Amino acid sequence: MKRQYLYILFVLPLLMACKPKAPTHVVDAGTADFTKFIAIGDGHTAGYMDDGLSLDGQRNSLGAILQQQLMMVGAPALEMPWMSEQNIGLSVNGLSRLILGYKTDCQGISSLSPVRVSLQGETSALASSAYNPSKKHSNFGVPGFRMIDMVSTAFGNINLPQHNAFFARMSKDQFNLPGSGNYSSVQENIFDGGSPTFCSIYLGIEDVLPYARSGATQHPMSPLAGFPGLGFEESLTQLCEQLSSQNVKAVLATIPNISDWPFFNTIPYNGLTLDAEKAASLNQIYNPIGISFVVGANPFMVVDPNAGMFGVRPAVPGEKILLTAPLDSVKCNQMGSIFPFRNEFVLTTEELATIQLRIEAFNAVIRQKATTYGFAIVETGGFYDKLTTGFAYNGATLSAKFVSGGAFSLDGIHLNPRGNALLANEFIKAINKKFTAKIPLINALNYNAILFP
Amino acid sequence: MRYQNRLIVGGFFFLLFWFNLAEAQGFQVNFQGQKQQGMGCAGSALVQDASTLFFNPAGASFVSKSQVNLAITPIFGNVMYVDSVTNEMYRTENPVGTPLNFYALIKPKRFHRLAYGLSVTTPFGSTVQYEPGWIGRFAITRLSMKVFHIQPTASFKITDNISIGAGFVFSPGSVNLQKDLPVQFNDGTFGHAEISGAAMGYGYNLGVYYNPGGFLSAGLSYRSGINMSVSDGQVDFTVPEGLAPNFPNGSLSASLALPSVTTLGLNIKPKASWNIVADINYVGWNTYDTLAFDYATNTSSLEDTKSPRMYKNIFAFRGGIQYAVFAKDKVLNVRFGGGFGFSPVPTGYLTPETPDGNRAYFTSGISYEFNKRFSLDASIYATKITRADTNLETQLSGTFTTIAWAPGIGINYNW
Repeated sequence: MKRQYLYILFVLPLLMACKPKAPTHVVDAGTADFTKFIAIGDGHTAGYMDDGLSLDGQRNSLGAILQQQLMMVGAPALEMPWMSEQNIGLSVNGLSRLILGYKTDCQGISSLSPVRVSLQGETSALASSAYNPSKKHSNFGVPGFRMIDMVSTAFGNINLPQHNAFFARMSKDQFNLPGSGNYSSVQENIFDGGSPTFCSIYLGIEDVLPYARSGATQHPMSPLAGFPGLGFEESLTQLCEQLSSQNVKAVLATIPNISDWPFFNTIPYNGLTLDAEKAASLNQIYNPIGISFVVGANPFMVVDPNAGMFGVRPAVPGEKILLTAPLDSVKCNQMGSIFPFRNEFVLTTEELATIQLRIEAFNAVIRQKATTYGFAIVETGGFYDKLTTGFAYNGATLSAKFVSGGAFSLDGIHLNPRGNALLANEFIKAINKKFTAKIPLINALNYNAILFP
Repeated sequence: MRYQNRLIVGGFFFLLFWFNLAEAQGFQVNFQGQKQQGMGCAGSALVQDASTLFFNPAGASFVSKSQVNLAITPIFGNVMYVDSVTNEMYRTENPVGTPLNFYALIKPKRFHRLAYGLSVTTPFGSTVQYEPGWIGRFAITRLSMKVFHIQPTASFKITDNISIGAGFVFSPGSVNLQKDLPVQFNDGTFGHAEISGAAMGYGYNLGVYYNPGGFLSAGLSYRSGINMSVSDGQVDFTVPEGLAPNFPNGSLSASLALPSVTTLGLNIKPKASWNIVADINYVGWNTYDTLAFDYATNTSSLEDTKSPRMYKNIFAFRGGIQYAVFAKDKVLNVRFGGGFGFSPVPTGYLTPETPDGNRAYFTSGISYEFNKRFSLDASIYATKITRADTNLETQLSGTFTTIAWAPGIGINYNW
């Protein structure tokens, strides 16, 4: 008896597996049905990044990454208006996408900088249709797509100068008879051939961004009020109405504070660095009108019609110098000092406040619609705030810093693949919460950030 | 008699679960004696061979003969990480760890109260290698740490029942730490950093031992903390050419504080063929509060790093039983034991290089004396550790499960 006990104890250490056993996880769509999922949005959803739309960008778009994860819970395979394998990319201005390369500045100094991948963009993409009647697009991400464009029949009308070429190539309109004059809206395309079961809707950025990017000189922001196609609120309302009438569930997203993005924050307002000689020569010019310069950091000079009789003044803290400001001219041709920055390169604090107010008004509408129609809501502001502060993610540090922050692409506006994956996680969290789904988050480290030569 | 034995076995398990018998934790390795390994790594008060040089230097003068002792304990450790955010699962591809120990104990014939000796042990160290592309790659991809303790020791019997002992510890070591960097080449592969260097540290080992030769013996020992300092380490970066100026290869310095260990050991001998042993460790892990690397050349991308570790001091309890099966000639001993240990790693500071947690383990062992001079020991150790945490520094959030097996074998030669 005694010895039997002993032998049992003796072999106790042997009663264990060699390797830890992998657990099984419950993955569940909850009350949502993703079998006919469609992602709706602007360039973020389409995969526009590095100031261009390319195949790589599309594959790593917010819409594609989100949909791929939703495929775990029944979403269909990706169908997008694919660009070509060459990956040259196409910007809204017909240029190729940006990559990180070496650029020699006006002083002959070579350094890492965003450069275009080729002389010309992939304009051939616009010459042929990307529509296939047997394969309905699951991604209606369109670069430049505003909320108020949702029901516009001008949006895809190639005969009109204001049409959107990225949408025109994916619209079903190619089967229109030539000259028939009938063009369909994005919304008609979305519901063409049956309604979706679930939509992600990330719109509104393009209703304010072009205005901000132009230094508040062009492209007025969309008005809040007005009929669908004119006003922000009713454009969203009618979309929600149609979704609701077809029992389509959705996740909406608010508009982040775009002025926190690298495009508006990479060049500091006081980025004019002067040595003694340069400061002295500028003082000779500006001292007579009461402006003086010091050795070291100085505010850039900006054009301001309201600033005294000469219409120039130093930039003030809080003002944004845009990434479009010609830095070569700053270095070699006294841009920002003797020749003040023109209005198109500057957002004043008043302009920023106006933009901010409009975003808040739009967001109030988006939140209200989400509540009314029982949609999930993503507060993108929280996500971008975290980026602005910077945060650790599985041992990597991510921030809103240009290039080194690792989340934004080289245009300083759109996220890079890793940034899109992180934002897609915010969508999944919102879906999980609202529809009691159990969808795991994405490992954003599996997606590229900035690639270095 | 049968009743008595049941009482002893039952009592042992009562102790085991009541006091959470345990072993020390962190990257400490407790495989320094095959006989102890058979009894839950306890037995510092049951002096049977030269391994007492490590466990309690005072015990050396109670060893009856001069002896050399050599043992090796391959560790088969498998770690599984399940990310709580993405559900992704990754495993380690650890090479087999090989802690070894060598003891030489000399009993001078003329001064029977004296003993001296030399021990070479590996009480700290580990190699952790994660599978390629794992989610914590920016925290660590591989860590290999080796620490040798070379300890010349002397022990003296003050009375027939009480002895003292002391040893000086030279501690050479080496470290190799690798991780990926969150910068990417044009083809999407990540940059890589490798830190390597030789380390050196010094310490001491003190003990007092009481053995009246009857029902009870006891010992108290103290192994000092040792500051392992890497004075001339090397860091090598593999990064895209465009970033090379930001990541200059060069020298670095670092240090790692190994903890002190205070051990109280008890041995009870209720009958001639039975020994019941229990050890209590107090491990001074709180010296390991930061893992710092001081790079010789700093840039905007390469600043000196100070990662908080914030280890805390812990108690560890171990216990075991030894039974002489053929009591007449004392030829065969069988042993078993086990323990439970608290982790020195506080919540929020769990790292993949030491995926530590409270642990329970079981051991068993056997010894066979071929003749008066030559004997063989064998033991086996098994543990499973599960720990979930979110690291405050890296935000890595998931559950580490470790299963480790350690079969050991040792030989003794007496004269």
